[in-house]
Amino acid sequence: MSFMDVSIRMTGLASTLFWTLLVAFFASAVYSVKDLHLNLENPTLSLTQEGYAIISISIKIENDGFHNLSEFNLTTKVADLNGTRITGGFTFIPIVKRNEKIVAFHNLTFNTALLLEKGPYYLFNDSYFTVTAIIGLKLAEVIPVQAISNFSVPWGAPFYNFHIEQPTFEPHNSTHLKIVAPISFENHASIDINGEISLYMYNSNGELVSQGESTITASKGVHYRDSIVLYVQTSAITEKGTFEVYFSTQFLSYGPLVIPYG
Amino acid sequence: MADENGNIKNFAKKLVFKALKAFLKSIVFYIAYLLVWSFFSTFEGYVHGLRQTVENFVIIYISLGFFSDLVSDTIFQQFFNVARAIFVMGYLTLALNGGILNLTYMDIALTIDLRLFLMVAVMLSLLGLARSMLQAINYAHKKAESASNL
Repeated sequence: MSFMDVSIRMTGLASTLFWTLLVAFFASAVYSVKDLHLNLENPTLSLTQEGYAIISISIKIENDGFHNLSEFNLTTKVADLNGTRITGGFTFIPIVKRNEKIVAFHNLTFNTALLLEKGPYYLFNDSYFTVTAIIGLKLAEVIPVQAISNFSVPWGAPFYNFHIEQPTFEPHNSTHLKIVAPISFENHASIDINGEISLYMYNSNGELVSQGESTITASKGVHYRDSIVLYVQTSAITEKGTFEVYFSTQFLSYGPLVIPYG
Repeated sequence: MADENGNIKNFAKKLVFKALKAFLKSIVFYIAYLLVWSFFSTFEGYVHGLRQTVENFVIIYISLGFFSDLVSDTIFQQFFNVARAIFVMGYLTLALNGGILNLTYMDIALTIDLRLFLMVAVMLSLLGLARSMLQAINYAHKKAESASNL
């Protein structure tokens, strides 16, 4: 057997060996995906007393495969209905070893004042935030995989369907009228609301004729009803005018909301 | 006349033996394929056309291997070996979309980067190609040597 024959045979053996290793490694790495359980739990939205909204996503990774996972990362972007970016987040787990279970939290925090800058829409209307999630990881520490998904997180308005019902007028004394303005709204936010609603009444000439306040304590999910009492000089009142409503709660302040009457 | 008959018999014997050997090697390779496929079969439902793509590859690969064994000890064997090495490189590159696979499953866009795998596979195919070249040179050299000895 010549040197050439030996070289050819050795090359053949090496080629066969490396092909077998490559196919075996690739097959086991792919098969391991079957035993990889990645669970992103339903996002929850909560509001803090400091006026921050927190979207919290629980990540559960259970790696029962043959290989370790590395460089697990979750990047999220939260946008409003118009697609404007509100906040973003990034979570990185360097390694998930085989037969290991990891639970991590991916938190997205943003100031609710940021939402109010975009107008009162989020104060009075339920809505959705679009969350774009990008998950990256390396299977068997060498095969990069990336998954992109979009999902929605519901936003509950703290003053959903706020309105002032038909005010009642009754004489208070010879010069003043007592006006009772019933207010109502539904608290769809995920926390209780404590604060104050101030009502300013303007006549058709734009003159402030009266003002009143009401302290509110609305638990989450309740249909809140109350009344604000105003005392108005009879001569100053006109058939038509406007109410200006100011909201002040533990996590946001907003006003005026202008509601015409008459 | 008797020599001629003997030569034909020998040739037929050799051919049958080579065909049998090629057939057995193909069977072994197919069994190995079935074994490896059992690891991938879970993902058949997620990746459209996965089985068809792999089966096409296996059929052509086995066929080239079969013909290569059938014409062994001739220069044509090296032609089939070279063709097989080039086919593996070309088919893997095309089937794996250059190493970046884009899939969609239930509103989730998946991107799998198999460039490293593809690179190693191409390098091993190049090794196979180089081996076939060496075999062809060796074959030609031995033929020339035996001719000059005569």
